[in-house]
Amino acid sequence: MNKTKRIENTFDIVRILIAIAVAYLIALIILALISDDPLNVIGLFIAGPFSSKKHIGDIFTRMIPLIFTGLCMCFVYAINKFNLAGEGAVNLGGCLAACVAIALKETSVPGWLCIILCIIVGALAGMLSNAIPAIADQVFHADVCVISLMLNYILLYFTTFILKNVIKDQGAAVTASYKLGSKVKLPKMIPGTTIHIGLLIAIACVVFVAILFYKMPFGYKMRAVGINPTFAKYIGIPVTSTIILAQIIGGSFAGMGGAVQILGMFPRYKWESLTNYGFDGLMIAVLARKNPILVPISAFLIAYIRNGADLVATKTQIPPEFVSIIQGIIIVLVAAEMFLSGWKKRLIFNAARKDLNEKEAKA
Amino acid sequence: METHKEALKMENITKIYPNGFVANKGITFSVMEGEIHALVGENGAGKTTLMKVLFGMEQAQEGKIYVGGKQVKITSPLDAIAKGVGMVHQHFMLVPSMTVAQNVTLGIEPRRHGLVDNAACIKMTQDLSDKYEFGLDATATVADLSVGLMQKVEILKALAKGAKVLILDEPTAVLTPQETRELFKQLKLLKENGHSIIFISHKLEEVMELCDNVTILRHGYCNGSYPISDLDEAKLSRLMVGRDVVLKIEKADPKPGRPILEVRDLEKLSDTGKLVLDHVSFTIREGEVLGIAGVEGNGQSFLSDCISGMQRFDGGDILLNGKSIAGRKISDIRESGMSNIPEDRMTVGCVPTMSIMDNVMADRFERRENMHGLFMDKKKALKITDDLIKEFEISCDDRSEAIRLLSGGNIQKVVVAREFTSGANFVLANQPTRGVDVGTAEMIRKYLVRQVREQNIASLLISADLNEVLEVSDRLLVMRQGKIVAAFPKANMVSEDELGEYMLGIKTMTPDEMEGLL
Repeated sequence: MNKTKRIENTFDIVRILIAIAVAYLIALIILALISDDPLNVIGLFIAGPFSSKKHIGDIFTRMIPLIFTGLCMCFVYAINKFNLAGEGAVNLGGCLAACVAIALKETSVPGWLCIILCIIVGALAGMLSNAIPAIADQVFHADVCVISLMLNYILLYFTTFILKNVIKDQGAAVTASYKLGSKVKLPKMIPGTTIHIGLLIAIACVVFVAILFYKMPFGYKMRAVGINPTFAKYIGIPVTSTIILAQIIGGSFAGMGGAVQILGMFPRYKWESLTNYGFDGLMIAVLARKNPILVPISAFLIAYIRNGADLVATKTQIPPEFVSIIQGIIIVLVAAEMFLSGWKKRLIFNAARKDLNEKEAKA
Repeated sequence: METHKEALKMENITKIYPNGFVANKGITFSVMEGEIHALVGENGAGKTTLMKVLFGMEQAQEGKIYVGGKQVKITSPLDAIAKGVGMVHQHFMLVPSMTVAQNVTLGIEPRRHGLVDNAACIKMTQDLSDKYEFGLDATATVADLSVGLMQKVEILKALAKGAKVLILDEPTAVLTPQETRELFKQLKLLKENGHSIIFISHKLEEVMELCDNVTILRHGYCNGSYPISDLDEAKLSRLMVGRDVVLKIEKADPKPGRPILEVRDLEKLSDTGKLVLDHVSFTIREGEVLGIAGVEGNGQSFLSDCISGMQRFDGGDILLNGKSIAGRKISDIRESGMSNIPEDRMTVGCVPTMSIMDNVMADRFERRENMHGLFMDKKKALKITDDLIKEFEISCDDRSEAIRLLSGGNIQKVVVAREFTSGANFVLANQPTRGVDVGTAEMIRKYLVRQVREQNIASLLISADLNEVLEVSDRLLVMRQGKIVAAFPKANMVSEDELGEYMLGIKTMTPDEMEGLL
């Protein structure tokens, strides 16, 4: 029977790889069809992101916010409540972190402390964003998915309001906040690249979440509640509070992601639209099969595809949107549990068969 | 009507489930026209799977099916019905708000001018019911019928669609002895009319009484087909489980101590406002098993849910070890001495996709002795799990295996192992051996009795299996329509027939008669 589990596990990985391969193949066909110079475009798309130190660094930089939101969605996924407020949490986290940075700019508070305060405020903002739909769902039985999607726009316009009315730099040419100041700028890790220490913070979060998921009682409660809430209730696990708490903890990572992204990448805060990092996080969590340890890997994959698309877009006439097609196909194939299931069944059937024959031969 | 034509033959059927579980291996058996053929075997032996293959709900990897001598491929239940195979499921597939006639003719309604001809529906159903002496009123609403009558509607449904071969999956599990006898009479009438019946049952004496031939399954293999006249009960049970099963449980007389669970005037309203528990009172003392018998759906599930804390009650009180459980959290109730073997192990008793270890540790992973600072102590958890696997003889490859890959009996062993070792002094056992093979059921019953006697704990046993409540319980109550209608001081002195009369409402004890027995 353990053989069955092994086949199932191996199969999961193989299925994701095949899904990616199929998606790439389709993308290549599309590129070949719409481009005058397909070979060059394809080369740029596949090898471009690895073509220089700077480009490789860009992949890692791009991963950072995706890891944070991917972790957030792992929580949401684990307890089986599709709270998508992680999207708005990125904006709110980024915006409030910027406010803190601006407020502390002229004070004597040391830089490292400012950074920590900004990130904590970002995390709190994320907790608040996720808590609203979570509580509405558990207490008032409002659909968590609908509430959270609507909330994203409330959060977006709230942060835009703050940007335009509280922290706007009237002297700037575009709508942007005052400069955040050099003391909160996250230091670069590797010269010649854009990689900043946000990557280390993200990895630390991954480790923390993995421990929380698999080594601590809360992780156990969360999984039990997510898979079988009736059982959780029967065995004495506080179902409602676990569900709400998991979403709040998850939200903190999305908010932190927003703060880290603002501090690491931008001299001023100027988000006036949703960043899409939250929704990308959902895709990354799906790709990682809800396993926080796999989140950096799927974030890397998405960042790599995106960077390839951007390179194609800057150097040729092809718009980067074509990459959405690849992502769409990957998600459909990964999420479609029945994809290749006939093959899986055959493998399991043959293994069971062999076992049986061996047993019979012995007897 | 004596014919010797083969109505059905299944040849060399092999079915392996997607999780790798070999449910059937090379099974061959055949049923003649006008024959009642028993299919017996422990749970997990492959009976249900074999019937699902026959009824088109599962596809076998290998094997052939012949109906009326012709090889057929059955791809879906609709296809099976079209080929003359009908099935009466253990859980009824009826629309409760519709009438008997509407249920029976659903999908094959006689029409007039393109519209459903109600009069013809009723006539067709009534004629069929009268022909086989089912005694049904075609215009009655299904929700108002008793379980026994609902089952007859199910059988009529299959007959109306032209079933020549009828599969009955444990039909007597939900019936009282009186209803069972009536069902048998009707099945024999069907047989005389040339129908073939496949009768799935755990109850060997029923098989001996009703059937002509029997096919025995064991661990997915066919253990032979025999004419009933060649066998007796002991021989049959040996063929089924490979050893003799003791149906009697030896136990010393109870020495009841202080009260552990006191139920006082308990009242409960259902969501629709019906009074489903009507002033129920009883006390269970340490060292005794109190049994509750009754036809299913007479308030037992509500009683069990109220005691375990899964549902709130509307009146009265429940005291566990002297403390009221009203309004308390389940974790709190469990801490004050409750353990609970739930009726439905797959949706309540376990998380199917989690490992054996996770399921065993579910109620104790947060206890201080199982923690290592902030973290769960994996080594400790592994040891606890391994010890329980050994003590309860849970057959599995290893403790990290997802529990859904185990057989029903082994899953129940995991649940029982957890609940009996939680340190509680009260065990609520609701249908603890339902759908479990004979060997495991015997083990669970003996363990329950031993724990109660040796550890001096108290237990409430709710069971639809009369043999079980009579054998395991010390005292016995009968529940009907949310009320206690009979109380017996010694369960093993009660006969099944007497019990049946109280369960069906033919007799009821007065409060004076039950005085002192609750």
